[in-house]
Amino acid sequence: MLEGKLTILRPLEETDLERVYKWINDREVTRYLAARYPLSRKDEANWLASGPANSFEAGVRLAIETKDGVHIGNLDLTQVRPEDRKAQMGVMIGEKDYWGAGYGTDAILTLLKFGFHDMNLNRIWLHAFDFNDRAYACYLKCGFQEEGRLRQHYYTEGRYWDSIVMAILRHEFDALHVAAEKAEAAGV
Amino acid sequence: MLEGSLVRLRAMEPGDLDNTYKWANDREVTLWLTSLRYPMSRKAEEQWVDAPTNSFDGVRLAIDTKDGKHIGAINLYRVNPEDRKAGLGIMIGEKDHWSNGHGTDAIKTLLSFAFDEMNLHRVWLHAFADHERAMACYLKCGFREEGRLRQEVYQDGRYYDVILMGVLQAEFAEVRNGDR
Repeated sequence: MLEGKLTILRPLEETDLERVYKWINDREVTRYLAARYPLSRKDEANWLASGPANSFEAGVRLAIETKDGVHIGNLDLTQVRPEDRKAQMGVMIGEKDYWGAGYGTDAILTLLKFGFHDMNLNRIWLHAFDFNDRAYACYLKCGFQEEGRLRQHYYTEGRYWDSIVMAILRHEFDALHVAAEKAEAAGV
Repeated sequence: MLEGSLVRLRAMEPGDLDNTYKWANDREVTLWLTSLRYPMSRKAEEQWVDAPTNSFDGVRLAIDTKDGKHIGAINLYRVNPEDRKAGLGIMIGEKDHWSNGHGTDAIKTLLSFAFDEMNLHRVWLHAFADHERAMACYLKCGFREEGRLRQEVYQDGRYYDVILMGVLQAEFAEVRNGDR
């Protein structure tokens, strides 16, 4: 259980099936994810069962819950490389009512802290579609920097879109967030 | 293939079995190795030689002289990605090559790989307190004494202390600069 200010991050369970099935078949949600095809309950049950047993090598996949216990989405760290000390982050808020309210930012910061301070990673990167303005703004707020643009990297809704590569480094995360936490704790 | 000044470190092959089997059953060699208390059969030794492919999870290499003579083995084990640490083990089976710099060179070559390619932060090892030749070698490679495990190992009718030694990435950089 990882605690943020607005969210907690916990392992996914079999009982999460109905929600993840609903989200992965909601086009309004999946248009922002690299997920095109209708998926069955069986597909999703397999996805839940095949999930990493959260570890350094297998990666980390967690459910995002509000402090009231509402499961609103998931996020993960995958492609973890020990020599390069890097991992890819993915995040999805499936409950649309919770978009634009700070839950995503809080969940991401909580995961970044775990990736840097517990897994001892040096770099966390992601791809964002260039039409996902809300996500882009959120990532910037978390401290991610734009590094590059993969042109016409993704095809959806009848046309090509660019993917933006963004990343945050350990020392950048510490400078932005550890300092802020200390100031808050000191009542500054 | 990792190149040192006196030795070359390479992946182990099935053809290495004759040598490793001979060394594993030579008491003068295994006296200082806690992993080889018992007489080893060829089959048991074969399983050790047939190791999984070298990866972040473990590196096991044959030590060859520059002339291609197989003289021993060196390995990194218990590699931990969060802590970025690993244990080091070394064995020079060909006794003619004791105390001639080949062990030191093999260790420095593997440490370079551990720090520069695997991006480890710390390499540790256990050495018998009475094994002066080995301790001198480890100190020369940059290892520092960190602790003494009292009566840690039972060998040859009595208990021995074992010295825990470690070297950090930044410390090894200094050793290397000293060599240049």
